[in-house]
Amino acid sequence: MKEFPILFGPEDAPLMGMVTTPASGDTAPVACLMLNMGAGYRIGPRRINVKLARRLAQHGISSLRMDLSGLGDSSAPKGQERFTQQAVLDLQAAMKLLETTLGIQRFIVIGLCSGGGRGLSLAEVDPRVVGLFMFDSYAFPGPRARIERDLRRMLALAGNASVYGKVGRWLRRKLGPRQPSAQLFDDEPIEETQRYFATTVRQLVERGVAVFVMYTGTLHVRDLGRDQLGSVADEPFAKQLEYRFIGEIDHTLTSIAGQQTFLDEVGDWVRRVASGRPAAKPALGAPPVQRVQVVAAQKGALPDMAAG
Amino acid sequence: MTPLVFGPAGRQLVGLYHPAESQRAAKAAVLMCAPYGHEAMRSQRFYRVLADRLARAGLSVLRFDYHGTGDSPGDDADGELDGWQRDVGAAHQELRRLADTRTILWFGARLGATIALMAAQHERADPTRIVLWDLVVDGKAYLEELRAAHVEALEQSFCIPDRTLRQQLVRDPDAFTDGPLGFEMSARLREQMRAITPLNVTVSAGNDTTVFADPENAAVQAWVQAQVARELPVTLAPFRHPLVWTTDPQPNNAMVPAEALQRLLAELRG
Repeated sequence: MKEFPILFGPEDAPLMGMVTTPASGDTAPVACLMLNMGAGYRIGPRRINVKLARRLAQHGISSLRMDLSGLGDSSAPKGQERFTQQAVLDLQAAMKLLETTLGIQRFIVIGLCSGGGRGLSLAEVDPRVVGLFMFDSYAFPGPRARIERDLRRMLALAGNASVYGKVGRWLRRKLGPRQPSAQLFDDEPIEETQRYFATTVRQLVERGVAVFVMYTGTLHVRDLGRDQLGSVADEPFAKQLEYRFIGEIDHTLTSIAGQQTFLDEVGDWVRRVASGRPAAKPALGAPPVQRVQVVAAQKGALPDMAAG
Repeated sequence: MTPLVFGPAGRQLVGLYHPAESQRAAKAAVLMCAPYGHEAMRSQRFYRVLADRLARAGLSVLRFDYHGTGDSPGDDADGELDGWQRDVGAAHQELRRLADTRTILWFGARLGATIALMAAQHERADPTRIVLWDLVVDGKAYLEELRAAHVEALEQSFCIPDRTLRQQLVRDPDAFTDGPLGFEMSARLREQMRAITPLNVTVSAGNDTTVFADPENAAVQAWVQAQVARELPVTLAPFRHPLVWTTDPQPNNAMVPAEALQRLLAELRG
């Protein structure tokens, strides 16, 4: 495995990233893009992006973990784009970097929480995205799932002191003064978000993009049938989504065991997508997909950092 | 800001160098020693902003990740205190080369502060001054803090947390020490952590040291008094701030608390 830090993107507002590539030999013609979860920096919660990048490299898959504009070690953007649009531009700069240095033209986006939303925005407009992983990103549980969750919490109060704090916070949110919403993200009604998700993911599925949605024990205790997709689960395209609910994992992967489960699930899915799941229809004029030989032909382009 | 890789071939490290923005040569440079685990993640943005401000004030700065942390090679479980002290030594030499100055201040927070003090004793590095923030002088207590924070994080995060978490915390002194707050900890590091006591954390006689700490932190207060009694060059600067090291940023627990930034900037800028 080889890794090196790099500044890329606009010269007057560079972005910071770490490229991880297999040590030598054939490398997959698909690379992963990993971005920020919320305002955390590129290593991801509990260093999960580092762990995933290195595991993927062992299987011949390169990746770039990066900070979006204004986050982590990346510069603030110079333009006037809204946050989502800027994120798309940043991710496209990342794709350009990997095309230039590694000759890779197909990408899988690994999006944790808000990162999933940024990944969806990119996949919507860029046919180079052939896979999208969204972790606790979009959730629309229906009434049955929501009532069951709240009922379980009420029942848990009797024997689980740690639930008191949760219920207290929930009550304060429901009954207290309305808090101003974060300015960073658009504050739109949930129905509009659900409509956008359904429309956009349908387009991706029709284009042949592999979509994997994963939900955790932060959202619920169990899942009876793609509960987190709500009414979207009934749509025909939703059958083609890879869906996992893993109650033992929490939103920020706090436990080592949870991280291992995450790495196994995501790593396995990425390998399947990289090895021949239906890819996006190539853009007009794009060259056919070929396996590329890493490092040897591009030694001058890649700083040589000792394998970890 | 320039990302770089440095250090000996068998133990390379990833760093970020902020050259002084002044037209004149940098009057001094600052080596920033990161906290451990989740606390490093929590303070990454603070370190970045502080480094930028120092560079603007005419000091060159090097931030870096110890082996097995951040972006540096190595798994979580590869990290341990002896190696991390050597990493501080390597980073010091790299900063001397980059900034072309012998006036190098060290800044460390939390376990990073402890590592800096240890490195000043054992490594061939000669910091001009050492500035420490919320230093850890009692490793056992610190590990207990991490264990409790781990349980707190699980309780906050899960929809319905496991109700035996608190019982495990009380009954088993090693529970949750294999990966406190999600960073795998080797048995060796756990042992080293528990071995940190006020008696074996010492100010170096040749380095003026300033310790910023909560005035209610009795352990650090007592430790400073003990160092002063041995006529070692240390000053205690009482300092309260809202940053909670073991949690994620919240409205009353800002990612970059302004008061901490201004105070430490003033201290390091001189």
